[in-house]
Amino acid sequence: MSKISQWVSLLILGMLFAVGLSGCQPQDDAWQTIQRRGVLRVGLDPTYPPFENADTGELEGIDVDLARALGETLEVEVTFVYFGFDGLYDALATDQVDVLISALVEDISKTRDFAFSDPYFNAGQFLFIHQDAPEKSLTMADMENHLLAVELGSEGHVQSIEWSRKINGLEIKALPTADDALWLVTQGEAHAAMVDQISGRLYRQNFPELAMVAEPVTVEPFAIVTRIDDQSLLEAVNDGLAQLTEDGTIETILHRWLD
Amino acid sequence: MLLLYLLRPAPDLVTVGPPQTVESSLPILAVHTRLADEVEEWKIKRSLEMVREMGATSIVEFFPWAYYHDNSGGIAWEHPDLVVNHAHAQGLKVIARLGFSPDWVRPEDAPLNYLDESGYDDFAVFAAAFAERYKGKVTAIIVWNEPNLSFEWGYRETTAADYVGLLRQTHAAVKEVNPSIQILGGALAPTLEPPGSPWGLNDLIYLDEMYQAGAADYMDGLAVHTYGFKFPPEFEPSPDVLNFRRVELLREVMVAHGDAEKKIFITEMGWNDHPRWTRAVKPGQRIAYTLEALEYTAAELPYVEVAAIWMFRTPAPIKSYMDYFTLVTPEFIPKPIYLALQERATAGQE
Repeated sequence: MSKISQWVSLLILGMLFAVGLSGCQPQDDAWQTIQRRGVLRVGLDPTYPPFENADTGELEGIDVDLARALGETLEVEVTFVYFGFDGLYDALATDQVDVLISALVEDISKTRDFAFSDPYFNAGQFLFIHQDAPEKSLTMADMENHLLAVELGSEGHVQSIEWSRKINGLEIKALPTADDALWLVTQGEAHAAMVDQISGRLYRQNFPELAMVAEPVTVEPFAIVTRIDDQSLLEAVNDGLAQLTEDGTIETILHRWLD
Repeated sequence: MLLLYLLRPAPDLVTVGPPQTVESSLPILAVHTRLADEVEEWKIKRSLEMVREMGATSIVEFFPWAYYHDNSGGIAWEHPDLVVNHAHAQGLKVIARLGFSPDWVRPEDAPLNYLDESGYDDFAVFAAAFAERYKGKVTAIIVWNEPNLSFEWGYRETTAADYVGLLRQTHAAVKEVNPSIQILGGALAPTLEPPGSPWGLNDLIYLDEMYQAGAADYMDGLAVHTYGFKFPPEFEPSPDVLNFRRVELLREVMVAHGDAEKKIFITEMGWNDHPRWTRAVKPGQRIAYTLEALEYTAAELPYVEVAAIWMFRTPAPIKSYMDYFTLVTPEFIPKPIYLALQERATAGQE
C-alpha cells in the first residue's frame, strides 16, 4: 500500500470513528447516583385516593405500594416528598425528587423535559355490566339498541355522545354520579355503565354482581415520570416495572386497593 | 395550456363563507376561545361555528403581541386576520385581549409577560394598529391580563399606578384611530393576596388603587375574571372569599368611585370538573352551576355586558385540570356542558 493510500485509509478510519462517537449519547449517571445514595426520592401529591392519600395521617395508596415495591426490586430505599398537584413537574425539574409516582397521565407535550415509563395502570373509561348479563363480552360496538348509563358531564358521557353518532339506537341515560350510573346496571335498568376504571372497581367492592369488560373504551395511561436526561434511571424504572408485572406484584397491589 | 392548467394554484380549501347571525335567547353568553395557538384554518372556522351554534354572542380571544410584531415595525397579520375575519363572518363580536411582549421590548431572559414603562409606547403602537385594522370587527380591547398577579406582570411589583400608565398610553393611541372601540381595564384576577405579597394584590384593593391613579379616564369598562371554585353561584359575596359573586364587590368599588355608568365584562368565568383538582366540582354540578350563574347574571346584574366562559377548546389536550374547563374536546366533540348551554341559549330560536 502506498504512503498516500495509507494516509487516506487512516483519514477515512478517523472520520468513521468521529461519526461513530457523535452518534453516542453521553451516559448519564442518574441511576448510579441513586444507587450510591441508596435512596430513590419519589414526588407525589397525596390527595388522590386510592392512589395516594395522607388524610389519615399515614401515607398510603396504590402509588405508595408501587413505589415501595419498585424500591425493593431496585434495591434502594424509597422516601416520599409531598407537593401540590400543580407543583409536581417543577419539583422534578428542579431536582427536588428523582421520579414522580402520582397517578400522572402520559403527556406528549412534556416530553422535551420529561420521560414517561411504561404505563402501569389504565385510568380510562370501561364498560361495567351485570355479571348475569347474557352478553359477557359486550363492547361499545355491540351497544346498538342498548341503554348505557353514564355520569352526567363526565368523560364517559362525552364518549357516549360520540358513540351515539356511530351506532344505531344507543340510548344514553346521564345520572348525577358514577355510582348512580352503576347502580342502574345492578338493578337491570341499563345494559351497561361507562365509567372510569377507578370509580367502577371501587363501586364494585360493594356490588360484586358487576363485571368489568376487559377491553377499555378509552386509554388514560398512568406512568412514572423522570427527567428526560435521566435515561439510565428510566431504564431501571422500566426494568423494575416489567419485573413487578411479571411476578404479579402490580396486579396484587391494584387488587388490594380497587377490588 | 394543459400544463398551465395542471400547474394552477390549488383552490382555497377553507373559505370565510357567507355572513351568519347568532340566534340567542341568552345574549350575555360569551366564551373565551383559545385560538392563538391553533394553526389550522378549518379548526379556527369550526371552533367559531360551534360558538355561534351554541348561542354565544361574543368571543374573548388572546392576541399575543410577541407573535406578530418584529423590531423593524412589521406586523404579521395573517393569523389574527383568520381569527377576526372568521369570527366576524359567524356574527360574533370579538373582545381582544392583548399581551405578551416581543423580545425586543424586554430585557434578555425576562418572561413574556414582562413590560416596563419603557415599552408602554411600543405596546400602544401595536394596540392602535390592531384597533385600526379591525375597526367594526373587534368591539373591545382588554389591555393586558390579570395585572394584579405578579406572574402576569412579568414578576414586577404589581402596582395599580404602574398599570394605569399602560392603560393611559394605550387608550390615547387607540382612540385616535378608532374612537368607537372600547378600552377595558383589567382583566383583574380573583385573589386575596395582601399588600406586599410577592404573588400579587387583592383585586378589590387593586381596583380601588386603579381609580386613585386615574383609571376612570382611560377605560370604557372593566374586565374581570370571576370563578366559582367549590362554591355554588348563589353563594354570598364576601371580601375574604373567592366565588362567582365577587363581581358584585368589584362593582361596589366602581360605584364608590363614581363610575357606575360603565359596564363590567366578565371575560373569564366558570367551574372545573377535574376528578382530583382541589377546587373542582362534579361534572353535573359544573353544568348546573354554570347555567344558574348565567341566569343570575342576566336577571340580577344589569351592569354586566357579557359573561364569557373559560374556555371553549384547546388545540391539544393539556393533560391537567385545565382540560376540565373546556366545553368541547380538541376533536370537536361537544361536552354535555356545551349541549346544555346550547339548549338554554337557543331555546325559542328558529
